[in-house]
Amino acid sequence: MSRLLAVAANTFRETVRERVLYNLVFFAILMTLSGLLLGQLSIRQDEKIIKDVGLAAMDLFGTLIAVFIGVGLVSKEIERRSLYPLLAKPLSRDELFLGKFAGLAFTLLVNLAVMTAGLYLTLLFTGRPAGALLLAAVYPIYLGLVLVVALAMLFSTVSSSSALASVFTVGVVVAGRFTDVIRNMREVAPGVPPWAIELLYAALPNFRNFDFKDRVAYGDPVPPDVLLWVTVYGAVYVAAVLVIGLASFRSRDFQ
Amino acid sequence: MRLRSLLPLVLLVPAVPWSQARIDRQVGTFRAQEEVLYLWSGEHVKRMFPGFETLAADIYWLRTVQYFGGERLFAREKRFELLGPLVDIATTLDPRLEIAYRYGAIFLSEPFPVGAGRPRQGVELLEKGVRNLPHSWRLRQDLGFFLHLFLGETERAAAVLNEAAEVPGAAFWLRMMAADLLTKGGSRADARRMWQQMYEQAEEGIIKQNAGLRLEILDSLDAADRLTDRVAEFERRRGRRPARLAELREGGLWGGPLVDVAGTPFGYDEKTGRVFISHESPMWRPD
Repeated sequence: MSRLLAVAANTFRETVRERVLYNLVFFAILMTLSGLLLGQLSIRQDEKIIKDVGLAAMDLFGTLIAVFIGVGLVSKEIERRSLYPLLAKPLSRDELFLGKFAGLAFTLLVNLAVMTAGLYLTLLFTGRPAGALLLAAVYPIYLGLVLVVALAMLFSTVSSSSALASVFTVGVVVAGRFTDVIRNMREVAPGVPPWAIELLYAALPNFRNFDFKDRVAYGDPVPPDVLLWVTVYGAVYVAAVLVIGLASFRSRDFQ
Repeated sequence: MRLRSLLPLVLLVPAVPWSQARIDRQVGTFRAQEEVLYLWSGEHVKRMFPGFETLAADIYWLRTVQYFGGERLFAREKRFELLGPLVDIATTLDPRLEIAYRYGAIFLSEPFPVGAGRPRQGVELLEKGVRNLPHSWRLRQDLGFFLHLFLGETERAAAVLNEAAEVPGAAFWLRMMAADLLTKGGSRADARRMWQQMYEQAEEGIIKQNAGLRLEILDSLDAADRLTDRVAEFERRRGRRPARLAELREGGLWGGPLVDVAGTPFGYDEKTGRVFISHESPMWRPD
């Protein structure tokens, strides 16, 4: 466990040093400009737009970080052959894989916490109400990001290149945001058997489940039991993806 | 050496705006139409932003406000053909964006060149709003107002105002206004009450300014009607119509100003004896 935590801590330091800070600077500029300009441009939709911009930026930037750093965690180590000295140490592959996952998940948590604080500060400084309800959108965003990290790490273990792993991850994440289209696929493609649609709908990660941005921007409450089931869904899906990823990582021949 | 390698820039940098100007001259007039082609379906735009529909709606709404403001205030040849598609896309991406229905309807319905001069489209937008936000009595109120004020469909307006009165939390006077519309057939007094309501409900901004202007127009129309009465009185007393409105003042029949609220002199047709708001005035609207 201590070895896993050591890998996680190291991954956190490494990822923070990489590109995450640039994202936060960009977010700070975005929120400042939103706060200053939108009041004049939007005809009193500024509060909603600031929330929309802030939450969408958390989702979008978080996803980009999760995909590209997540893929790099394993596949770049393989490409650069920096994985071999690590595996030569008294460290199991499971500990390495899970430690890297936990490290990036923590980086994303810190990143999201800073962005959330930035959003609250923008709302407070511009005199708009900023309740705890915003967190009901931020929390599911985080669950979705953790799932993206798990997927990125899975694809980086099964694919031979980081570019290919990125393409697979982005493909699944985008498809997971179109689950409503998949469910209604028969309307545009009547030839597809219903079982295939049901299978695809059930198998793909439904990223719509983690999206409460519009509800929260309009001040609508998110029922706690809904959040609970979203948490269960996220945890189960992440665990399943990690199990497959671990199996793939364990069996992979790095020679 | 390094400076010499940058010399081509002296030629290239001015060539960029020069070629841009040539392109604008060639395709400038067609560009708006091309944009409409790309923008025609809100559903298609919605498919491009999975999970980010409301942010996209905000961007389209900002673009709508910017487009309308730019055309209304700065364009020499005002064109509003993108207004309808832009508002439609914004409200398809975020069906709860109430402000887009209310402001969009004003932008679309006001006569050209103040607005797009497309009141039927404005009413259709409000109907879409009522479908998407059935619990908003204000949208139904606006729909009723616009049906009467811009389309003259008084009976339908009264029915919609009665529907608005059924919505929980609705204003108490909606039913009275509906009854007045049916009994009086839509008088100027009804129009004044509607614009007064919009003025009082609106916060500072375009809707309030527009409603205020509409009230001033009604004041000017009332003043023009009073002057027309004075012209009739002048004719009754003198056996002829005045050649100029100033004769009313000289004859002691009118003590007030002979200009509308904007300060533009009223128009006068000696043949009919009718006084009206001049076409030169910002208060003028087509009948």
